[in-house]
Formats: sequence, C-alpha cells, structure tokens
Amino acid sequence: GQGQGSGSARLEPSLLRFLVCPLSKRPLRYEEATNELINEELGIAYPIIDGIPNMIPEAARTTRKKPPAEGSKQP
Amino acid sequence: MAAALCPCRAVLARRGGALRALCGSVRGLAAGPETHFGFQTVTEAERREKIYQVFESVAKKYDVMNDSMTLGIHRVWKDILVHKMNPSPGTLLLDVAGGTGDIAFRFINYVRSVRERQLQRKLKHHQNLSWQEISESYQEDKSKSLGDSQVVVCDINKEMLKVGKQKAQHLGYSEGLSWVLGNAEELPFDDDMFDVYTIAFGIRNVTRIDLALQEAYRVLKPGGRFLCLEFSHVSNPLLSRLYDLYSFQVIPVLGEVIAGDWKSYQYLVESIRRFPPQEELKAMIEDAGFFKVDYQNLNSGIVAIHSGFKL
Repeated sequence: GQGQGSGSARLEPSLLRFLVCPLSKRPLRYEEATNELINEELGIAYPIIDGIPNMIPEAARTTRKKPPAEGSKQP
Repeated sequence: MAAALCPCRAVLARRGGALRALCGSVRGLAAGPETHFGFQTVTEAERREKIYQVFESVAKKYDVMNDSMTLGIHRVWKDILVHKMNPSPGTLLLDVAGGTGDIAFRFINYVRSVRERQLQRKLKHHQNLSWQEISESYQEDKSKSLGDSQVVVCDINKEMLKVGKQKAQHLGYSEGLSWVLGNAEELPFDDDMFDVYTIAFGIRNVTRIDLALQEAYRVLKPGGRFLCLEFSHVSNPLLSRLYDLYSFQVIPVLGEVIAGDWKSYQYLVESIRRFPPQEELKAMIEDAGFFKVDYQNLNSGIVAIHSGFKL
C-alpha cells in the first residue's frame, strides 16, 4: 500500500468502505482530529489505536455529554 | 480459576442435573445464562472474560505452541483450507478470529501466485509485441500484484492482533491486508460485503456460535462461501484413545514448559472435547441459512473443514 511510517495511528482508507457500527450496522464518519470512527445517530465513537479500529461496543465512548443541549462535541 | 465462586461447582460439573441448576441459579442471577469453559460451568459473561484472558496470555507464544502441539501439522491444515478456498485475484476475504494472520498470509501468497501465472500466460500470447509494449504491460500489472484482492483480519483480542500485525510487518505483508478489533457475534461490517468468510480454530472460542454463524451469513455476498477449520471428533476408538492421551497428558505440559501456562492449554484441550461434532456443527451452519453445507475430515477427524454457501 502507501508508504506507511512506523507507529502510524491513522486508519487505512480502504477499511472505511467495509466498516459500520457493530450495533446499528450504519455507516460511520472518520474524525481525523480525534482519530475515531463516529456514529452520529447513537452518539458513540470507536477509537483507532495503532491503526487498528476498535469496534467493540463496550470500548466506544459516548460523544454526547447531555442528550438534548448544544450540538457541539467535547473531545 | 473461578472455583471460589461456588465450591460445589467442580464436583457438580460432572454430576449435572438438578443440583447444578440450583447452584447456578442461586449464584448467577444477574450474570446471564449458563455455559461452559472447558469442563467448568460458568456464565456467558465469565466465559468471555476467561477466554479473553487465555488468548491475552498465550498471544506471544501462540505460533510456537501451535507448532509444538501439532508437530507443525497445523500448517498443513491451514494450507488445505486455503487450497480448498481456491481464491482468484479480486477476492474479498474476511478472516474472523484470525489473530496472528496465518490464514491471511496464506491467502495473499495464493492469490499472488495465481496472479503471476495469469501474467505469465498473458505474456506468452504477446509474442509479436514490441519491447516497449511489453514493458508497459508489465508495469501496469506489477502495481496490482494481488489483483485487487483484500483480506480483513478481525479478532476480538488486542494482543493477538498485535502479534499478527508485527508478523505482517516482519514478513513484508502490507498490501491488501487490514486489521480490525471486533466481535464475531457482532461484526462491524455491512451486509453482503465479502466473497469468503473464514474462521480457523476460532469458532470453538465463541460463546454464542449461533450468533457468529448468523453474522457470517449476513456479511457474505450472495454466492459467498463460509469456511470453518476447527478441531472436531475422532470416531475411530483406538485413535481416539491415543488422541485423548496425547491431549490430556502432553499438551498442558507443553503449555507449561513453553508458554509457562498450564491452565490455558488445559482449557484448550477441554474446549476441543466440548465442541460439537461434525454433524452437529453442520446442522448449526444450516440453521444460519447456509446451503450445500458439508465437511471434510482431516487426520481422521482430529480437524474438520466445514463449508457452506449463501445463495
């Protein structure tokens, strides 16, 4: 593939076309800033560690602190 | 391991019946339905946790142990699996519980050699091209040495994936290979995605096999193939006794000597005994919706390859 440097924590682009949320099976958005895969609907984010996406629901964090409130995400 | 939770469990595991049910219900109201961990009775939650720990513990020595325990024969089993698959360039493979990458690497090698033969055949037919034209066709083909084939390795265990990724780097595999941390019972892939789904020596460790099979069906394309390589049951009585002797006397000792971990290999041996035999697994695969399900015994049933198709 592309020349990946050592310790690259970023996601392989080709993987994005395969991955969906394991819970809802809906598409995910790759957030480059936090290196996470976001399910907007459910408000959860799956981390990517050492280039490997962790798609276990228990490992995901919620992106919303308060359900209704503002739409801004906290890192 | 978890004997402290219920002292009578160790005894009851063999006796079974009403007493076990009572003990289980008193102890495990919140923790979920009962299942097995080797020969112990545990809740589903406990089983997942214990199995995770087993593989976390053995990850670094996994390959060495496989070679020692099977005298290297596991390599042949895996070769046979990939030959049976007979992937052509452009195939999309999902290898579940593929931790250390054995199937993935074989898939890549196989597809590469098929591709090379294709290219050679093509060149043979281009006898009256100019050198310019030939070198151009060489270049465009070289960039696709896998011919768009891809393998995604999915495993629930971080340590196993880590080992796999390191191995890949070490052996020079990068193109067409991806790694995902995921649960076979709840795959993070869309429907109708893959041409082939493999699970080699992994399904035995899944807690809800029915869910894993349903997920396998879901993510396969119509026409896609399910392939499972797993320890199975030996019907020949003499061979069965020798196999038992070897399993229960030799393997845990090897585990202790090589990996410093008797318990994990005790679990391994017990889990093989607990796993459904060939016909039962075949029925489970059919229940998930697969057609043309059959199996092939290797080494008289020590290992079996089950195959099914999504139509």
